[in-house]
Amino acid sequence: MFYKNIVLALLIELGLEDLAKYPFIKEAGEYIKKLNIQIEDLNHPDYINIIQRAKERIKDAINKRMVSKEIQKAEVDILSFPIALLIVRMCNNDYLASIYSLAEAIRIEEFLKYERKSIISHIFKTVLNIDVIEVLEDNLMHQFDYKIKIKEYLKRSTQFHELEWKLINRVVNQGYVYLKTHELIRLIREEIRKIIYNRIKNMATPKLPKVIEDAVSEISGMVQKLIINKERISSTLTPKNYPPCVNYALNTLQKGQNLPHFGRFLLSTYLLNIGKTVDEIIQLYPKLPDFNERITKYQVEHIAGLRGGRIKYKCPSCKTLQTHGLCFKDETCDEIKNPLQYGRVKSKNKR
Amino acid sequence: MDDKTLALMKQAFKQYYFKAGDKIIPPTRMSEREFGYIPFGGSMIRHLSFKTFGDLYALLVREAPHSVYYSAAYYHEPTLPMHDKGWKGGDLIFDIDADNLKLPCKKDHDLWECKNCGLKRIGLRPEKCPNCGEVSISELNWACEKCLEAAKNEALKLIEILMKDFGINKSEIKTYFSGNMGYHITIESAEFEDLDQTARSEIADYVSGRGLIPESIGVFKRATYEDLLKNLPRVGEPGWRGRLAISFKNWKVKGFDNDNDVIKKIATLYGKIRYSKFKKRLEVEALNMGAVIDTMVTTDVHRIFRMPDTLHGETGLLKKMCDNLLDFDPLNEAVVLSDELVEVFIDYSPKFRLKDQIYRTFKKEKVKLPLMAAVYLAGKGLARVI
Ligand code: SF4
Ligand SMILES: [Zn+2]
Ligand SMILES: [Zn+2]
Repeated sequence: MFYKNIVLALLIELGLEDLAKYPFIKEAGEYIKKLNIQIEDLNHPDYINIIQRAKERIKDAINKRMVSKEIQKAEVDILSFPIALLIVRMCNNDYLASIYSLAEAIRIEEFLKYERKSIISHIFKTVLNIDVIEVLEDNLMHQFDYKIKIKEYLKRSTQFHELEWKLINRVVNQGYVYLKTHELIRLIREEIRKIIYNRIKNMATPKLPKVIEDAVSEISGMVQKLIINKERISSTLTPKNYPPCVNYALNTLQKGQNLPHFGRFLLSTYLLNIGKTVDEIIQLYPKLPDFNERITKYQVEHIAGLRGGRIKYKCPSCKTLQTHGLCFKDETCDEIKNPLQYGRVKSKNKR
Repeated sequence: MDDKTLALMKQAFKQYYFKAGDKIIPPTRMSEREFGYIPFGGSMIRHLSFKTFGDLYALLVREAPHSVYYSAAYYHEPTLPMHDKGWKGGDLIFDIDADNLKLPCKKDHDLWECKNCGLKRIGLRPEKCPNCGEVSISELNWACEKCLEAAKNEALKLIEILMKDFGINKSEIKTYFSGNMGYHITIESAEFEDLDQTARSEIADYVSGRGLIPESIGVFKRATYEDLLKNLPRVGEPGWRGRLAISFKNWKVKGFDNDNDVIKKIATLYGKIRYSKFKKRLEVEALNMGAVIDTMVTTDVHRIFRMPDTLHGETGLLKKMCDNLLDFDPLNEAVVLSDELVEVFIDYSPKFRLKDQIYRTFKKEKVKLPLMAAVYLAGKGLARVI
């Protein structure tokens, strides 16, 4: 075992190329530290292509929802990542931070899918503290690539609602869940996104050199336009008689922010109950790259009782929503116990 | 329950606890758990905490409660209201109750009582009282030896899944007779203690065979015969695939009589009945092979669970650790009250055994019974002290 670990450590000599693929790992940070660059240095023309690349990362996120995988020069790519984070931080816009971190997470996911096994294990261990064990070729379970502890699996799989992620539909043996590479990678997308998102949120706000200031205003401008567009769309979708909790869920979704499962559940059950069709509801979900229309459709149909258990789900009560932190009460809410009553009470009170 | 009977029960429990001090194993992580108890003739008192085993034992002897519980969860502040307790983690627990098995013998020993006219009868609870038409009817579930044996069988299935699939060491699986109708299984392991409600419900579904889809054994809507030959599980595979592979041997399909062509047999069957019917059949099979547990108990992270080595107020039997489950005889090993004779009036009771003594059916009679049997009936409300 000890011997094996040494071999493993030797195998994961991380090249610059690797750091460029995974600029959020600590080795990339250490590499940058060694270069000893000061923030004022960024004004120097030498850094122009790094700042260019940083802006490109963010623009990719805004326009294509995924940062491009192309790496022209590894050094430039590595350095552009923290600078992109800084620009996003300084734009001070939650929506931007959200879509940007997701776009980076998806880029990382794409690289990981085709990564060497030793690097995958290394990243899972150092970033997420998950022990990923390779399944060997000669093993009975050779159709799988990796195994992880049941608890590590469950902590992540329960965010998905497709039945294939249920533990019972996995191969489980001696405390481990067996997975193919793309399944293992899919499990951690949201975590990677959060790591990047939190890094943005927790960044200090230094005094900025001119080049960065310019980049910030350029990006801010783009985001502003985007948000105005969004709001125009969402205002037509948001009838005044929806209760605050439903509007909140709707807005979160429209802003491209992550809406917890229960929020989606509320939205779907509410809208189905007031007579919206499955297709109309699916339209509400933004076209994010991780948005898989088939899956959402399945979920909504499931809630509508068209699939699976054929149970038609009821809209959750205000009390339940309160415990999930999804209630945003106003005066009208005082008279009701379920969001479905809101519309009626509101129009009655107006009369 | 009348005062005289209550007093007898409490006295019997007190007597037991007074002598049992060194037989009670102190709960692990005691100061982090919430305790609760039901006094005889009272209602549940919760949110208690004990710093030392001495304090806890003092309560047992002083109160001699009907039932004592502690939380599977560990808290920062066990005595605060639920949302302020600060959940740290919890044992993984499973509850197996004979009543949920719905065995045919239920109709031979279960009892119901009309809440209006008081009519009492053996058998399954009717829709409404045949005497007065009342719909509000209470039932009394009884566990006969067959019931207890069946519950044990579920526990054995569960333990096998926990060991094989979850990789839990036998020494980490604590199995108890619940003191009444079944078995409790507790796992205190760092591996599982911080799992939340949704993760626990996944485990509950896994062990009970719930939610299995045909795709997980390689059966897709448009699967061809060849696909199936390739993908269907083989005996010896781990997890549910292997478990189902074993069960496939027993599936009856016309033209396949021997065990040799199991995969071909199933593939042929699929060709005949196709996806939805196959799915239904598979679901039934999985539920059969899984353990019947009360899912709520496993899932609820704030649940308080009967404390081991304490007496069950409905039977006077002990919640007792089973060192060797296979040979465990609850109606012998969990019986701890004395055989001192007491006179009771028995309304009605089915035939039962305690220790080596078999008790016949009683109906509206005055009898002298050993304390253990008197409490066994009185706890269920079938007998009272005269
Ligand atoms: S009180 Fe009910 S209707 Fe109003 S916001 Fe809260 S959950 Fe929605
Ligand atoms: Zn009646
Ligand atoms: Zn029975």
